[in-house]
Amino acid sequence: MKKKKFSFSGLYLGIVFAVMYLPVVVVVVFSFNESRLPVSFTGFSLKWYQALFADDDMLEALKNSLLLGVGSCALSAVIGTLGAVGLSRLNWKSKGIMEYISILPLMIPEIILGMVLMAFFYMLNLPFGMLTLLIGHTVFCVPYILMEVKARLAGMDPALEEAARDLGASGFRAFWDITLPLILPAVFSGSLLAFAMSLDDVVISIFINGPRVSTLPIKVYTQIKTGVTPEINALCTLMLGVILLALLFYALVKRLQRRRTGKHGRE
Amino acid sequence: MKRIAAVTLGAALCLGAFPASVSADSADEMILFTWEGMFPQEVLDGFEEEYGIEIIYSNFDSDETMLEKLSMAQGGDYDLIIADDYILEEVVAQGLAQELDMDIITNFDNINPSYQGQVYDPEDAYTVPYGAGIPLIVYDPEQVDIEITGYSDLWDESLEDCIAITANYRVICGITQLSMGRSMNEEDPEVIAETGERLLELAPNIRLIQDDNTQDALLNGEASVAFLYTSQVTQVLAENPDLQVVYPEEGLGFGIMAGFVPSQAPNGEAAMKFINYILEPEVSAQCTNYIGYYCTNQAANDLVDENLVAPEGVTGEFVRTVSAEAEAAYSEAWTAFKAACD
Amino acid sequence: MEKDKKVPYIKRTSSRRKKPGSRSAVWMILPLYAFTLIFVAGPLLYVIALSFTKADGGYTINWSFTLENYTRILEPVYLQTFAQSFQLAFTSTLIICLVGYPFGYFMAKLPPGKKRAAMLFLMLPFWVNSLIRMYGWIILLQKKGVLNFILQKLGIIEKPLSILYSYPAIVVGMVYVLLPFMALSVYSSAEKMDWSLVEAARDLGASGFQAFWTVTFRLTMPGLLSGIILTFVPSMGLFFIADILGGNKIVLVGSLIQEQMTKGNNWPFAAALAVVLMALTTLLIVLYRRITHARELEGIG
Repeated sequence: MKKKKFSFSGLYLGIVFAVMYLPVVVVVVFSFNESRLPVSFTGFSLKWYQALFADDDMLEALKNSLLLGVGSCALSAVIGTLGAVGLSRLNWKSKGIMEYISILPLMIPEIILGMVLMAFFYMLNLPFGMLTLLIGHTVFCVPYILMEVKARLAGMDPALEEAARDLGASGFRAFWDITLPLILPAVFSGSLLAFAMSLDDVVISIFINGPRVSTLPIKVYTQIKTGVTPEINALCTLMLGVILLALLFYALVKRLQRRRTGKHGRE
Repeated sequence: MKRIAAVTLGAALCLGAFPASVSADSADEMILFTWEGMFPQEVLDGFEEEYGIEIIYSNFDSDETMLEKLSMAQGGDYDLIIADDYILEEVVAQGLAQELDMDIITNFDNINPSYQGQVYDPEDAYTVPYGAGIPLIVYDPEQVDIEITGYSDLWDESLEDCIAITANYRVICGITQLSMGRSMNEEDPEVIAETGERLLELAPNIRLIQDDNTQDALLNGEASVAFLYTSQVTQVLAENPDLQVVYPEEGLGFGIMAGFVPSQAPNGEAAMKFINYILEPEVSAQCTNYIGYYCTNQAANDLVDENLVAPEGVTGEFVRTVSAEAEAAYSEAWTAFKAACD
Repeated sequence: MEKDKKVPYIKRTSSRRKKPGSRSAVWMILPLYAFTLIFVAGPLLYVIALSFTKADGGYTINWSFTLENYTRILEPVYLQTFAQSFQLAFTSTLIICLVGYPFGYFMAKLPPGKKRAAMLFLMLPFWVNSLIRMYGWIILLQKKGVLNFILQKLGIIEKPLSILYSYPAIVVGMVYVLLPFMALSVYSSAEKMDWSLVEAARDLGASGFQAFWTVTFRLTMPGLLSGIILTFVPSMGLFFIADILGGNKIVLVGSLIQEQMTKGNNWPFAAALAVVLMALTTLLIVLYRRITHARELEGIG
């Protein structure tokens, strides 16, 4: 938040971001800790990184988590976005109740949802594994996208779509050309939330995963019997590092492009 | 912007045909189902190399989750499960375990007889112990003025806001009952109500109630006395050997983790081989040192860390499943206790 | 983004009574309806049914009707649990509103490039497993921790504060975990706002605050509302924060349910607790909407 002119908003954002990143800094620092316990820093060591690279299961779990996060996020983005737009265009009586039921997964305690979904999937005879995880995660991801998109749609000028329709566009066409670009930021922020929830879920996943598929949070939370090791700190540090590098690279490329074309502002 | 949307939608559509997990049951793999971090990588690798069987390590977070998944799968899906004593009783009762194949498990005699013939499997037909635990009191003598010898000392007024305890309510109610000269498994509602009242008196001394990483509180100075599970005791002593360990005089709680092969295990034979493998003295010692529970393999006693061999003759009481009414009474006493700790 | 800017300049050409493309809307709504009916309503009915069954003590369910689970909730110790959960959820949500609303609002006013960066940075901590982030907070808040060290060095306090395992520590954890939900909701609502309306208000002589209150705040209300739901509802169930940072000393409905499901093996009671929790939460949301007249503001139809 560098600005020549003093700005209160910049300062505010900076402070909140700083507080938000404090625990993350601690996580990073303790990934280099000699001791296994997250109590005090006893000495610099890279042994948890070594342990991590020798741990194929953990890396496999990471891969599954990312795949699952992207998958459930995309699926729920489609269901949630189309659903929110559809709801806004219709006046069905069942609308209110359906909307309520679709955000219910936020209210059902996770462990109950997990247990019930497991029983349900057994009933449907679905093969436990990625598929069941994907459905389960989509169940609790849809509400985030639905809520975000709904809030964005609220008060949006319906005349825009109507105009498109008057000019002969089909309902889908109007959605694709007019509505979607307008609500895209909400789809994006909802997807970010959904992705974060999926990446961190353990209570539901543990019930609906198959014997062969594990996710990162499952690996972490099931260490309770012997204690969580800093290996996971090391993994998270690496993930953060990779993302930061990617962002930096992206920003650099953007800057170079901009310099070359001489354009400003628009991204 | 439209391109992003198109890609997102496209990706989502592809994912509609998301690949279901491969479920080819091949003879040379074994699905191990237990908590994470129960086996050192060398042991798993060693077995894979020696027998050419691939281990698929799957995890659960609690015994109850395990039982739920196993009974849904009707005793299938998994080849070897390691879980706690009280749930094993239920597993055996529901017929979800198969008898051990003694022709394969030739190392069976290595097991320390003190850990055999337990309530959950009196004939030793279904289970093999993997580690034993005795929750103990650990305290920092520099910060505690009294000498702690038993559970009753936890009620001492000088320990206000000093104690960290584990969060399993049957265990905590159990030690309260031990301190009152009773069994850990009382079923009489009146006795349980009395236990609840006694527990309430402990509330002012409680600093935290936690199952995971409880030992940290002792190390970072948040608590000066802690009631810990065995692996936590091992970890806290490794970090700070000056701490005092107490075998409470009123009697001990006791727990055994044991392995069994589910009744419909896809590859039960591999599981038996694995059980036999981890009963080898060297392998068993590796495992025991890694998880920090008491050694249940007498052939490995000389090879493990001396702290991990339970003193001769030390046994305690298991927490067992009680009637629904008693269970409800325990949970109510516990909820009232937690609310009073605030 | 350029399309956003065109919005206000297009005049309404037709009446808004007739909705565009209701047939396509049916198709759009179909996946949501189907998915919700199968995977949400089904499980929900199961939970409700379960809450009327009898606890058997064992690990099987006895399907005979009883109201026992509900009458049991009326016992003072469980009523207190509900009261405490709601109190904590209210406190957390209030603080999250106070911190998160300005955050989302300021974020929306950033230039486009920084906007996107801020959004990514807001979500980046979620890549770190929440359990170890909570351990991070323990390191910061503990007696020998970073915060106490700094305060002592600055001479603000003499003895280390014991913040961990207390109510404030739980609130810190709640706010920390749920803040992004509020910030992003307010952001996506404020971001589409037509700032020329605020200027117009100012031109007409409104003070900065008046303009904010009558224009900005009203227009970002849907975002605030969805933010409140996205924070209030989950905060009822986030027991692991009370567990790790609060030392389990405050009993929340979430942890009670967890305990009943696992250690207590009393599914019917857990289900009844969940049903009551959902009902009360719903009631509160409905009340909230009534009070804020949010329905009108949201009024799409």
